[in-house]
Amino acid sequence: MYSLIIAFGFLLAMRGARHAPLQRPMEGLKRLGFEAVDLFLTVSLILALWALAITFERIQPIVRDYGIFGSGLAAYLLSRYQKKTDVFFLSVVASVFMIHAEQCGPLQGILLAGVVSAGIALFQICFLGLRYKLLFSNTPPSMKGWPSLCLLAGFIALVLWCFGSLVF
Amino acid sequence: MKLPESLFSRMLLAYLPFMVYPYGFFRAGVAALWIVAFLWVTVAFFWFTRRLFPSRSLKPAFFLWLIVWAQAIWTLTKLPPYWIASVYFLAPVSFLEDAAKPSQARVFSKEVPRFQHPSIGAERSLGPSQPPFWEKVKKLGRYFFERVLAGISFAGFVMLLALIREIGEKRLGIHAFEQPVGMWLVIAAVAFLWKNQPYRRRG
Repeated sequence: MYSLIIAFGFLLAMRGARHAPLQRPMEGLKRLGFEAVDLFLTVSLILALWALAITFERIQPIVRDYGIFGSGLAAYLLSRYQKKTDVFFLSVVASVFMIHAEQCGPLQGILLAGVVSAGIALFQICFLGLRYKLLFSNTPPSMKGWPSLCLLAGFIALVLWCFGSLVF
Repeated sequence: MKLPESLFSRMLLAYLPFMVYPYGFFRAGVAALWIVAFLWVTVAFFWFTRRLFPSRSLKPAFFLWLIVWAQAIWTLTKLPPYWIASVYFLAPVSFLEDAAKPSQARVFSKEVPRFQHPSIGAERSLGPSQPPFWEKVKKLGRYFFERVLAGISFAGFVMLLALIREIGEKRLGIHAFEQPVGMWLVIAAVAFLWKNQPYRRRG
């Protein structure tokens, strides 16, 4: 779950919804909050639909065998309906699969969706904040761009790893 | 000649789903080779069939194609479907968009053959000045060559990082390599080397 948060948190931060403006970090924070809520609601809805479909005995084997196809289709339609980016859709597919692989109940699944969304939001908020601070620092030209972004992601991953080992 | 930053960004973003896979060197390598093979098949498939789709349904068709294959591969090999994100970042998906500009879809070159997208090629077919046949073939060859190179570079990148992870985790016993933390620091070092590669003149 931690790896999913780090990987897709970075993907969403780099290629997610419209870039959070670095010059106005408060606006960026607000946008990240809304995105996290959208991710949580979308993943929860798909998990709930999946759990509901499994209760019907007749379609149970089909739902079990073609779960990725069904959840992927639902994720795509819901993402398009909300006018989200392609990366949002891919993040939803990955989150739904990983939570479903944990084989927990619907309520626990929704709780895990909350943990993933909150984790991704936390990663993105830290990333936005550090990038904002980086704007006003004298970063050497050789470190600008991907090297500094990867280093920032590494430091955030390190902090979240420590927090994660304390919490779980 | 310097290797372009755009290739590194594609490889990096396509590698990130591999952080979720708990795979060793061998399995990571096999998964990377599968992704590359699938990327080439996808590019070829959509290149030759794109005219069969209405322009608006081309992108949904691409994602439906990804979902169907994610399901099929999960059923056959139990490979979790995160790999579709890698294919998405490696594929020149922007050429499926109506408003695609040539510069959006490049990997190495500065321009993409204008006739590759129906809406871009349409305006040219009306005019009298069609590019010569050999010019088309040359551009097409270059376009596919770049996709092939992108795939090979990605597979090499994944194998290199998987090897470093294997050595760091198993031989040196550094626990950070079990987690994305260690890999991020390695990727930062690779990004630094990539950005500061020495410039050499051709010939």
